[in-house]
Amino acid sequence: MEVVLHLPVVPNVELVAAKAVETLGGALGMHQTHVEAASVAMVEACLNAMEHGGGPVTVRLHSGNHAEKPCLVIEVEDHGRGFDPATAPQNSPAKVLGCTSKRGWGLTLIRELMDDVQIRSEPGKTLVYMCKYVESAP
Amino acid sequence: MNEERIKVTKNLLSDGVGLVAAAGYINNEGGQAIADAAAELMEQGCKTLLIDLDGTRIINSIGVSILLEILEKLMDEKGQLAFCNLTPTIAKTFEIMGLVQYASVYPDREAAVTAIEGDATV
Repeated sequence: MEVVLHLPVVPNVELVAAKAVETLGGALGMHQTHVEAASVAMVEACLNAMEHGGGPVTVRLHSGNHAEKPCLVIEVEDHGRGFDPATAPQNSPAKVLGCTSKRGWGLTLIRELMDDVQIRSEPGKTLVYMCKYVESAP
Repeated sequence: MNEERIKVTKNLLSDGVGLVAAAGYINNEGGQAIADAAAELMEQGCKTLLIDLDGTRIINSIGVSILLEILEKLMDEKGQLAFCNLTPTIAKTFEIMGLVQYASVYPDREAAVTAIEGDATV
């Protein structure tokens, strides 16, 4: 079971990808709460890819296994200049109030909402791999 | 769950207490629509705002950052912000982004109104 989407950079196109998460997650028997968590992570990954990649985004969703547990796998790929995941900014709720810019939460949310996240990035290609266990802890 | 255009309504609940109800995608446009409604209620003297997200199932960090700006404005006026009817994922997102550390969260509108009116009588 696999879904592949090629998303143009148009307003709210990330909701198309979120809808795919909803459909595939439901087919896998995921709890609605886990589907919604994966949907928010998908939205953030797509927004990051469109903002930093600058062009069309490719999204792949499929069922898989991670650590011997069934999971929904999501991969979001863009073709921007890339970045070093190790030095990407980490936001903290302690410093959010009074801060002029409240942006840059995408990766933090993705890491918190998904069960496994891996990022491979080089000039011309960034791939965000994430998975959500079908039976995740709420 | 992916309704694009948010529906926002606002009402005065009681003296100084306003309600913003929002159903739909909270992105930059959705967040701004909530912020506009909140600003109008604050101009009418509301220092306590309840935001009811019944019908909202998906958000993004840009929309939440606008909700943080509403919180800052209320705190500047010694006011308070409360939310109700959050899905577990939205509640977790608010927690990650630091919103619930400064705002109250209630399971539903009735519980929120009861608590807010209780505070007002103290």
